[in-house]
Amino acid sequence: MESESGIGRMKLQTDMQVNRISDYIWEIPSSEKPGMLVPARIYASAAILAAMDRGVFDQVTNVACLPGIHRYALCMPDGHWGYGFPIGGVAAFAPEDGVISPGGVGYDINCGMRLIRTDLSLSEVRPKLELLMTELFRRVPAGVGSRGFVNLTRRDFRDVMKQGAAWCIAKGYGWDEDLERIEERGCLQGADPSHVTDYAVERGINQLGTLGSGNHYLEVQVLSDKGLFDRATAAAMGLTGHDQVVIMVHCGSRGFGHQVASDYLKVFEKAMRRYGISVKDQQLACAPFRSPEGQDYFAAMNCAANTAFANRQVITHQIREAFEAVFGESALRLGMHLVYDVAHNIAKVERYPDGEWLVHRKGATRAFGPGNPELPNCYRAIGQPVICGGSMETGSYLLVGTDRATQDTFGSTMHGSGRTMSRAQAKRTIRGDQLQRDMKQRGILVKAVSMSGLAEEAGFAYKNISDVVETVDRAGIAKKVAELKPIGNIKG
Amino acid sequence: MPGTFRFLDDIALADMAFDAEGDSLPGLFNAATEALLASLADPTSVAQTWRQVIDMEEPDIPTLLFEWLGRLVHLKDAQSVVFHRVDLSIRHNPESSTWQLHADVIGAPVDPATQELRSDVKGVTKHLYAVTQDATGWKARVVLDV
Repeated sequence: MESESGIGRMKLQTDMQVNRISDYIWEIPSSEKPGMLVPARIYASAAILAAMDRGVFDQVTNVACLPGIHRYALCMPDGHWGYGFPIGGVAAFAPEDGVISPGGVGYDINCGMRLIRTDLSLSEVRPKLELLMTELFRRVPAGVGSRGFVNLTRRDFRDVMKQGAAWCIAKGYGWDEDLERIEERGCLQGADPSHVTDYAVERGINQLGTLGSGNHYLEVQVLSDKGLFDRATAAAMGLTGHDQVVIMVHCGSRGFGHQVASDYLKVFEKAMRRYGISVKDQQLACAPFRSPEGQDYFAAMNCAANTAFANRQVITHQIREAFEAVFGESALRLGMHLVYDVAHNIAKVERYPDGEWLVHRKGATRAFGPGNPELPNCYRAIGQPVICGGSMETGSYLLVGTDRATQDTFGSTMHGSGRTMSRAQAKRTIRGDQLQRDMKQRGILVKAVSMSGLAEEAGFAYKNISDVVETVDRAGIAKKVAELKPIGNIKG
Repeated sequence: MPGTFRFLDDIALADMAFDAEGDSLPGLFNAATEALLASLADPTSVAQTWRQVIDMEEPDIPTLLFEWLGRLVHLKDAQSVVFHRVDLSIRHNPESSTWQLHADVIGAPVDPATQELRSDVKGVTKHLYAVTQDATGWKARVVLDV
């Protein structure tokens, strides 16, 4: 069904009324679906909005029906169909009478991005790139059923759940300074392993320091002078251009987080009957945040989030060791400082000018502006770094948060580019080995566990990330700082 | 009791979906199991050096299939294995009014050097999940989160 209502002659994948608020904000009134408690707002250029799949419109308006939702149900420009919430979905709920929903966090709890800088330039790395990627591929397990090198007892794993990245650093997998540059210092408060099932623990205990598969990756990238949009802000993050080499990591809590989410979806399906809550989609199962079930999920979700911070921390340790082995210098001398680590699948209680809200971000990045007291000293003047991963062929972006995001989108912005083609169609379009050869010819070395998995992640299967970045930049909910181009990629 | 499955395009853009069908319940379960196994790795590339027997009991068929597929995903992560084949049987227990599954799961530890590994399926979802029966047999639609 296509609609022409509300926005002139633009054709959309919905028959709902969509009103233009500005060039980059579109609103579906709460009158468009029975049960909507607030309007839904989509951040998009006209072209991105027209390309959005029907699921976005259906799902963001389903979210607008959840009890206790505040102001708007939001979707970012990289939005597409997801489970329950759309990917790119953001919603805030009153902690006292609102709900918490695993569908608003995502199965991969605290899936997120990490960026590491170096003092190395492309000319220094290119001659050793094959060796470097081989070393990274050897040290960072990826793909189906992979196990990490950290052997954990159940007691160790409980400590990881409670302490997050700090556990890793205490064990020598990182530097003390890393913590300051991780959202919440790599440890969400309120994590309580007693609310995590043994079944989930069995699934996660062997996976610390593993990348996974799907759209998760470890990428070696280059920041050219041309890719710098804001030199002063980039410099504050240790990024100066001149073909500077950086490393980006995209992964989360692996099977452990998924099991936590699955376990609590079952709990919430029963709890909803008890609390008299009905939802438009089974994947939006939820419970009052202050209910025993809601608090149990929140405690377990924080455990999974902390293991995700720890996962990226151990991977960072492995990356530093790989660079040390290849370049014969210590990671410290190579300048391998963490730029930032930020979640894009999470629910957190955050303070805003109009109160305290339980903010769900599902495929959306926190984007606090300058001066926010939650930010570390090193970034308080410039705003929070926002790391957005694109496809492995096209590149990624670094942005910073803004006051506008704090005011309008519960401190949230985009997280990536968003798929436009199914995995099956991508595999029919190109073979993994052919894609690997094509990318090598273009100077991008790819190491992949699965060739079919590689084909699924071809650049043409994703939106143009530059269009998405322009949208959030012009909408004012993040400010672009730098564009990062890939030269090497590890895929599961 | 053969069953068939086919992967679906554009049902779950970022993930994987399949339809499975069989002329009997074991046929349906076999087909859905084969679809999941093929999502993880080419079963013909997986040796038969690991084995586990699974027994499960659930109040209804849709729950049994959902939990069974989820158990295979859990085994993949907890044991770091992929699968060659599964021999399974389904029976109804009239005394407890439950459906029971007995399965012999055969595979091998993950080895990228010898196996054609595919997608690291993270879980089975309830999105569009359905198990139906008609005059021709049983059908299921399953969306896997990758």
